[in-house]
Amino acid sequence: MPAETCIMGLFKDDGKAAKVILDLPAAGFSFRRAHSPIPSHRILEALKLRKGRVGWFTLTGGIIGFFAGFALAIFTSVQWNLIVSGKPIVSLIPFFIVGFEFTILFSVFGNVIGLLVCSRLPDYGGLESYDPRCSGEHFGVLAACEAGREGELMDFFQKKGGEVKVFA
Amino acid sequence: MNTTMPPVQPGRNAAPQRSLFTLGAVLAAAGLAAFLAGLLGPHPQRAWQAFLINFLLWSAMAQGAVLFSAVTHTVKARWTGPLSGLAGAFAGFFPVSLACFLILLIGKNHLFPWLHEDLHGKEIWLNIPFLFTRDGIGFLILYGTGWAYLSQDLKLKFGTSAAGGGLRRMLAGRIPQSDTDIQRVQRRKNLWGGLYCFAFALVLSLIGFDLVMSMDPHWVSTLFGAYHFVKAFYVGLGALIILAAIVHLRRGRSAGIAAAHFHDVGKLFFAFCLLWADFFYVQLTVIWYGNIPEETSYVILRTVTPPWDALAWVVFIVCFIIPFVVLINRRIKTMPGAMIALCSIVILGIWLEHLLLLGPALNHAAAELPLGVTDGLVFVGFLGLMVLALAYTLKTFPEFLPPGGEAPR
Repeated sequence: MPAETCIMGLFKDDGKAAKVILDLPAAGFSFRRAHSPIPSHRILEALKLRKGRVGWFTLTGGIIGFFAGFALAIFTSVQWNLIVSGKPIVSLIPFFIVGFEFTILFSVFGNVIGLLVCSRLPDYGGLESYDPRCSGEHFGVLAACEAGREGELMDFFQKKGGEVKVFA
Repeated sequence: MNTTMPPVQPGRNAAPQRSLFTLGAVLAAAGLAAFLAGLLGPHPQRAWQAFLINFLLWSAMAQGAVLFSAVTHTVKARWTGPLSGLAGAFAGFFPVSLACFLILLIGKNHLFPWLHEDLHGKEIWLNIPFLFTRDGIGFLILYGTGWAYLSQDLKLKFGTSAAGGGLRRMLAGRIPQSDTDIQRVQRRKNLWGGLYCFAFALVLSLIGFDLVMSMDPHWVSTLFGAYHFVKAFYVGLGALIILAAIVHLRRGRSAGIAAAHFHDVGKLFFAFCLLWADFFYVQLTVIWYGNIPEETSYVILRTVTPPWDALAWVVFIVCFIIPFVVLINRRIKTMPGAMIALCSIVILGIWLEHLLLLGPALNHAAAELPLGVTDGLVFVGFLGLMVLALAYTLKTFPEFLPPGGEAPR
């Protein structure tokens, strides 16, 4: 596999960063990652990301919670085994409230877990090839090029109005 | 600063075609024939039952759809786009609904089982003259505020002139010419829109108590009125989505109804699906806990006693389970064809739900479901009346239609 060099273009405008992301493949460079200090719809659109899988975690959590709520209510009622107001020990109508509440609770759990898994968090190692300015006022576009084409990639970023940072 | 609003340029060529009027008239005639045949047959009470059920259902659709326009205007919602105008077109059914309400008076002996019962003091409330007077006044207030709101809306859309027939000119009244006039009309529109929302909750509650709950005069649920008007908004949204989808499918992107509009109104439809089920459940829970025979008998008869038990499950699945599962999907809400199918299923489900609520009271000790061809044809007849009302309203007031132009994605 040929050696690659990663170079970051830093832009003060998310529109320029988005344009660079779109133009990189045509110029023969590989896009690696984008860094943004704020959520940017322009960059998100340029990245053409597939829909996240967090929703599936939420749905799974909700379904598990629904049945877990019923299971908990049934289990505790059976343990006490007390007939109250002539009602059956296992009464599904009021247990629905517990099922509903657990649906919401486990959906939230699923959502948070999905967010952590899909974002690959926590990341104790920190990011490679990162510039702290991307947490300030710059939008960073990290791209890779084959050895020997570093100058072309730097020129490409500079022509698009960005500053350049080279990572070893 | 000149704040004069540019008049909406409705696409006259987009107005309903003659074939739509013919279709509506044929359907209405089929329904009328079936209703008359039912009246002359051995079981006239079945024909009256079908009439009452369809009157409640189709009136609720019109009332609920107009509520969408009024409530989104009142809360200054900006996402509605052309949907708000389309919703206003359902007000064309108001006169039909009022006429149908008066026709109910003819069938009173077949429709109100409590006429032949000892009401133990409830006669003060449940008697025919008082019931029809208060409900009639209620409908007049509801439809009056609805049309007052829409007439202000139309005045703003007419621009500086209201060319056209007498009804247009009459409704337009004094068309605003200056900025002061426009602001005055805006204020009136806000007022009437808010009043319609208020009247909707009050009058629909009253109708729910009087024309549905009172059929079992010894059963009481204080939440029934709210359940009834939530249901009306639910089916109103369904009817609006169907109309918007048809306009979109006929006119394409020039209709100005974007996927985002369908997505947003689909979410509202989803929300009211949940709310309808919630209102059903909270009533059920209280009755279940209370366990008072005169309350539980109503629920037991309709949910665990044949032949109604099967119908109860069908209603629950069609009105809640199916839309709940389907509408979780985001994409389906943006597909007009799929939404027509789903909303039609829900409306049919609510039609059956009316049968579930009214049927046991009107068919004591029924061995099988009182549902036949006549019921279906009367439904079709009311569909024809709705088609005619919408076609006439949209032809007379094309301002209700989207003004045209390329829809945003």
